[in-house]
Amino acid sequence: MYVKVEYVFIILFIIITNYLIGIQIEKANNNKKRRAFYLNLSLLINLGILIFFKYWNFLIGNLFDFLGLIHLKSAVSAPFLDIALPIGLSYYIFQTIGYIMDVYRGSIQAEKSISQFGLFTLFFPKLLVGPIERANRFLPQLKKNIYFDQENIIEGGKRIAWGLFKKLVVADRIAIYHTTVIVSADHQSGGTILLSCLLYTFQVYADFSGYTDIALGTARMFGFDLMENFKRPLLARNISDFWRRWHISLSSWVNDYIFNPLVLKRRDWGIWGVFYGLLVSFIVIGIWHGAAWNYVLFGLLQAIAIIYEATTKKARKRISKKISPVIYNNVSILLTFLFITFSLIIFQSSTFSEATNIIKGIFLNSGELYYDKPSTLLFMLIGCGVMMMVDIKVEYRISGYSLFSNKSWVIQQISYALLLIYILIAGVFDGGQFIYFAF
Amino acid sequence: MTLIEKIKEKKLPAFIAKAILFLFLLIILDFTIGNTLRYLYFKQDSGLLYRTTYSLDSTKAELLIFGSSTANHHYNPSIFEKRLNTSVYNTGRDGNTIFYNYAVFQSVLKRYIPKVAILDFNVEEFKVYPDNYDRISSLLPYYQTHPELHSIIQLKSPYEKYKLLSKIYPYNSLIFTILVGNTDFNRTRDNINDDKGYVPLSHVWHRELTTQTAVSYQLDSNKINFLKSLIGESKSNGIRLYISISPRFIKYEGEDLSVEIVRKIANESNIPFFDFSKDTLFWKHNEYFADRSHLNNTGATIFSNMVIDKIIQNQQSTLINNKNNFSLKTRKK
Repeated sequence: MYVKVEYVFIILFIIITNYLIGIQIEKANNNKKRRAFYLNLSLLINLGILIFFKYWNFLIGNLFDFLGLIHLKSAVSAPFLDIALPIGLSYYIFQTIGYIMDVYRGSIQAEKSISQFGLFTLFFPKLLVGPIERANRFLPQLKKNIYFDQENIIEGGKRIAWGLFKKLVVADRIAIYHTTVIVSADHQSGGTILLSCLLYTFQVYADFSGYTDIALGTARMFGFDLMENFKRPLLARNISDFWRRWHISLSSWVNDYIFNPLVLKRRDWGIWGVFYGLLVSFIVIGIWHGAAWNYVLFGLLQAIAIIYEATTKKARKRISKKISPVIYNNVSILLTFLFITFSLIIFQSSTFSEATNIIKGIFLNSGELYYDKPSTLLFMLIGCGVMMMVDIKVEYRISGYSLFSNKSWVIQQISYALLLIYILIAGVFDGGQFIYFAF
Repeated sequence: MTLIEKIKEKKLPAFIAKAILFLFLLIILDFTIGNTLRYLYFKQDSGLLYRTTYSLDSTKAELLIFGSSTANHHYNPSIFEKRLNTSVYNTGRDGNTIFYNYAVFQSVLKRYIPKVAILDFNVEEFKVYPDNYDRISSLLPYYQTHPELHSIIQLKSPYEKYKLLSKIYPYNSLIFTILVGNTDFNRTRDNINDDKGYVPLSHVWHRELTTQTAVSYQLDSNKINFLKSLIGESKSNGIRLYISISPRFIKYEGEDLSVEIVRKIANESNIPFFDFSKDTLFWKHNEYFADRSHLNNTGATIFSNMVIDKIIQNQQSTLINNKNNFSLKTRKK
């Protein structure tokens, strides 16, 4: 992840070529061959750029490793590239592919205005970390006249404040602790590593959803409505449910443009076609995060868990009837959370041995619980507690006295002022980067 | 509805008025809470934050110990006082580096000139490590009252002086520590004598000795320059400076780059340099350690005596009548 002035030309190239290809696909009308040609041309350009910048070294490295394994390694050294990943590339490439696919399927018309297509690609709140917006949602918004609306400013501001809380108070606070523990995992006790890994799940959620809140709030201030990317994922009751709530813009993109076409193509395989679709889709989701085997394994784990859920659905339903719904649901939420925590150990490890070291450390390392200072632990727990309380309130539609949506304007203003003051008191202001910037 | 129509309908002026009111509320809250935190911060008479205030504003000790956690937990001032017959204060603070040490040194020089200073130096101290700059935040509460710290605080970020417009910001992340510091909690725990600065560690490390190979890394020129300034100002003020590296329960293979540089600087400046990082005595005794980087109280007692022995040796081998020499007491073996 890096910003270079030259990389502006890459974005411009992507915008111009896809804009023209979109129009050509539409012009091809009933000429299937021509339409397919332009679709493939767009995929070649978009995926070619993505592979070149993001996956080249990974592919070449693995190819040379394989050749070495079968004793075919040549005297030539692997042609690795020393290039930085343009910031936000994975997001706007996927968004553009989605647009071309929609035009190809005829579900939207090709955009005729290059400035509006450019804005669709480059709209600044979503450029760096999404959401991966859909053309049919966003392009019509660009055509509307935008006027000053104080409600948009206020609601956008509130969303930004909440995003800042998640990022600065929750995510960056945990990040300091988690980094310290994981860097020295060999010397930390099992309890410490476990606590750190559990907190990391909250960190990733707070970091990414915090950014999304800031992006959505900023867009709202300008009168735009970006798609929601999270729906309280840490309250998911199973992994399928989790992926309907987590990074929704990516998971729904993969669902629409990879999973559904694959299942349709393999419909004669029956349930195996669905499993095949799941495996491919989640490997794509995994590798979308980065060019490394840990991301492939992360995706594979999710697919296996969802296949397991699909095959044991009836049995689990039978069990649920024998247990109180409150206990069943809470145990389901807990097990889902633990599975996601386990997956994130693989997600955050740069090598397989690093992941196994963390897991081994949890079970084998003895010693005292390290939590820096009691205040560090307190800050982390308060942050996570408040974030989860808000999610629980929304999830279960718990009504009652509310400070932030109070009918009294004064109470509402004081509440938001106090939220900002608490961010000043408990936030981390040392420039912690967003985790998903790296993807 | 267009912007002009909104203005005509008086919706925009009302919105601006509300926004100004909200901003005003924020400023009032920031001012009130910030000043309350400031009052409570400086009212503390024990604990970590108090020790920094004491180091900067109050200590008059003749021998000062500077450094990070290894300084704070390894050098017991009572032992130094007893054997060197002088007043000693340990200014070491966990997680801080030469930036903090130099800041404390500057504030001390504004008030008085200590006779002797010991700087505890860490392996990889000169490594580029962004967190080291974040730790400068421990000096933020003193920004208003200590102009000599401004240049060091600016290293944290060029926007620091703007951030410091907020009254709460200097006390960011400190609220619980400040509240605890205003209770009796710190005074009643673990034999910590805040008047001496030293914080003993009690637990015992039960792991095997680990080996670490020296690797190359990027050097932070700021840190090197601050060390050179500290040496230069010590010399110009007639302070006898010692640089020492604490023992760790890590066997180093090869010479660490920072150690190599500090050794060279010390030699060039004629500063006594004691390197205990490869002292095999400590590698045989895990019971001297609280973790692989820190000695516990038992280890600190032994180590403090070893440092004193080195100082005495050094004094005996240099000018006998130096005005900064202590009246020496030989260690009881």
